[in-house]
Amino acid sequence: MIKARNLVKWFGPTLAVDHLSFTIDAGRIVGFLGPNGAGKSTTLRILTGFIPPTSGQATIAGFDAMKQPAEARSRIGYLPESTPLYGEMRVEEYLDYRGRLMKMPRDDRRKRIGVVCDRCGLAHLRRRLVGQLSKGNRQRVGIAQALLHNPKVLILDEPTAGLDPTQITHVRQLIRDLKGSHTILISSHILPEIEKTADDVVIIAGGRIVAQGTPDELRENVAGGSQVVVEVKASAESVRNVFTRAASVDRVEVTADGPWSRATVTPRDGQDIRESLGSIVASNGWTIREMSRHTRSLEEYFIEITARQDQAGTVAEAGAA
Amino acid sequence: MTQTIAIARRELTSLFCSPIAYVVLGLFGLGLALIFFGFSFAPGMPAELRDTYTWTVWLLIFLVPAISMRLVSEELRSGTIEPLMTAPLSDAQVIVGKWIGAMGFVLALLILPTVVLMIVLESNASPDYGPMLTGLLGLILVAGFYLSIGTFASAVTRNQIIAFLLTIFIISLFTLALYFLPRASFVSPDLSKALSYMNVNNQFEDFSKGLIDTGNFVYFFSGIALFLFFAIKALEVRRWW
Repeated sequence: MIKARNLVKWFGPTLAVDHLSFTIDAGRIVGFLGPNGAGKSTTLRILTGFIPPTSGQATIAGFDAMKQPAEARSRIGYLPESTPLYGEMRVEEYLDYRGRLMKMPRDDRRKRIGVVCDRCGLAHLRRRLVGQLSKGNRQRVGIAQALLHNPKVLILDEPTAGLDPTQITHVRQLIRDLKGSHTILISSHILPEIEKTADDVVIIAGGRIVAQGTPDELRENVAGGSQVVVEVKASAESVRNVFTRAASVDRVEVTADGPWSRATVTPRDGQDIRESLGSIVASNGWTIREMSRHTRSLEEYFIEITARQDQAGTVAEAGAA
Repeated sequence: MTQTIAIARRELTSLFCSPIAYVVLGLFGLGLALIFFGFSFAPGMPAELRDTYTWTVWLLIFLVPAISMRLVSEELRSGTIEPLMTAPLSDAQVIVGKWIGAMGFVLALLILPTVVLMIVLESNASPDYGPMLTGLLGLILVAGFYLSIGTFASAVTRNQIIAFLLTIFIISLFTLALYFLPRASFVSPDLSKALSYMNVNNQFEDFSKGLIDTGNFVYFFSGIALFLFFAIKALEVRRWW
């Protein structure tokens, strides 16, 4: 549905997008994650045809964003960062205007305005001036405008920026409801949002893709992977000895807490060793009061790999200078 | 085409939502009235609007840019240019649509007070409508030309004041500069004639006399087309920056 091949974008001496390639299949929700200045918005703007890439190709439903702009753009519903709207228009006037720009015939337009207003919770705000809306409602108008012509592809740049938790939940549900019938690309730097909403995650830093995969896959990729915490009634010494000798164990750290020992076991290759640890505890006859598995959050992974990218970037710039 | 009309409609309605529109309308009405009563409406003077029109052309130099200055620069500043330029329409449709919308306002601006003056003349004399109507047509063409210059200036900057000043500067090239230049001693007679042809006021002269010549129409239409073309290109260049 959405295909980017070797996208490069230079803004003067700055390389904003560095040979980005990815494919998004129909019906998927993909999250673009990255720190500010990573090149997410630039990439989205290339996909929607707002700016041309320095080199490379972007296609939407098979139509080139630069060479076949009319076909490509009519299949996209786009919500830009900062949700720009005309303050002096009423909500339904604005949606009607967007409908006309999207070449929607009158009856279709009227019907769809009703549908998206209901969907986005704007039914009671139709006659309100856009300039008088709260931030959350402005965002809803932006999403409504993107949905209006029922596009196959939705590209949303930071759709939950500045919203309160209730509004964020509502937007999240809205996006989930669209899955399958629409292909959705969301960009954000709010990791929990992407974790909860997206099928696939693409992490971008310094204009490059540094990681890709489902949220679960990414979590497993974290250096050090998951760890298992076990608290048993035994001496720290014996716990350390026994666990270290166990299969698939990489590292063991034990702290004593009175008669109890708290062991943090790091498995080799990110395997799930709870079962084997459980049988070891049982065969040693230790009393157990906790066993849990801690997977690193996407946030920690994100910070780690983007920091790595920043370092690499600084080294590269210093090298070039 | 419907998309261009949609843009024009929005622009026109939006203009009337801004206080600038009413200030311009008020100032124009006031200026026109002062000019009329100062120059044309006195016992013994011919019942015509010719002198009024000649001064009005100068008034337009300041009032048209006040309308055009926000046409594109406001969208550039607020970011609404982005949803506009990612919709399935061309830059040409955007520019032409905006120009048409603003022209709608300009038409209202010019026609309404002039009709009032015509009524005043009619009730006090029997004026010759020929020159009055062609003069009005000439004013509309001049305003259209100035508006296209203003649209271009608005497309090259986010700052409305700069757009305003740039418009006035370019217009003064076509009016002031091309008034003095043909009279300079170092300019040959042929060049002088060519430069005089380019002067807006000289082109307008014929209209105010009651003459309609295709040459004048060519001047104004090509001038409008030229600056709208520049405006479209200015918008296009923004993408590549």
